[in-house]
Amino acid sequence: MHEAVYEVFARKERGEPLRHIGYVDAMDDALARVYAWKTYDEERWFEMCVVPRSSIIPVNRTDGPFAAAALRGGGQ
Amino acid sequence: MSGGGVETAGDLAPEAREGLRRLVIALADAKRLMGLRYSDWLLGAPSIETGIAASSMAQDEWGHARLLYAMLKSFDMDPVRVEHERASDEYCSPDALDRPFGDWADVVAGGVVIDGAISTCLRSFAAGSYEPARSRVPKMLAEEEFHWDMAGAWYHRLANASDEARARLRDSTLEMLPSTLAWMAPDDAAAKVLSDAGLADAPGAIRSSFEAVVGPVVAELEIDLSTAESRSEGWDESRGRGPGGPDDEAIERARGDRNRMLFVE
Repeated sequence: MHEAVYEVFARKERGEPLRHIGYVDAMDDALARVYAWKTYDEERWFEMCVVPRSSIIPVNRTDGPFAAAALRGGGQ
Repeated sequence: MSGGGVETAGDLAPEAREGLRRLVIALADAKRLMGLRYSDWLLGAPSIETGIAASSMAQDEWGHARLLYAMLKSFDMDPVRVEHERASDEYCSPDALDRPFGDWADVVAGGVVIDGAISTCLRSFAAGSYEPARSRVPKMLAEEEFHWDMAGAWYHRLANASDEARARLRDSTLEMLPSTLAWMAPDDAAAKVLSDAGLADAPGAIRSSFEAVVGPVVAELEIDLSTAESRSEGWDESRGRGPGGPDDEAIERARGDRNRMLFVE
């Protein structure tokens, strides 16, 4: 079964910036939520979100590490 | 259902107290065995992320078990003895957890059917009048939401995969359902006493609650929960389950036999 890459973002406090903390491979959004929460559970996160890597849109450059991965089609 | 709230088991009439004691041990043992079965899949799960999730769920279950065993102090029971010294035929866990999950279809079906049944019981317990449950169980249920999301998502995936995947998942589900329904909603005097005392829902209401949550998931495999039979032959009312108990290896692991001489409490 096909898996996509999901980027994981989280913040520990309400006023803190959301930061990128890692990624998970998952077959769908529902499993990506679970995998992210269970994999990055070393902190008591105030908020965590996952984003399909394929949904990232480069803004100023396409050769940055983040954007380049997204442009490769969601691969790692 | 709840009235003024029952602060301690000592405030209950003897029959209600005994029914509550059985419920607490059943839930604690269920959590311990569920965690043990999840823990087997840290390695061998379909992906690294899935294995990590299974491992984390195992930790959740053992944490919940520890909290539930601690409630037994109100029944003048020693949680250490209950956790570390009982034989298999004293366990009150669901019959379907007596053996290890054989394959990933078993794990997924177990997550939906057995873990789903345990959470259904916990919701009923938390909504009842026993204050220790009202204060401690909601956090367990919040953690269980991720277990349910994982099981439901995997169930949906396998139900829409190959014919073999569908068949194995269906077989696992149908194998687990009858004894788990009997464990979850016992048709016996102890369960009736509990509901009459407002400590938990009546078995019929628990079953309805389970059907509302789990029914749509298993319906993907043409399984109709409303007609699913509850199997209770050989019913052991003192434990609220069928005859037998978990396999020897599970009991040794649950009790921590191998390193018993190093035990520190």
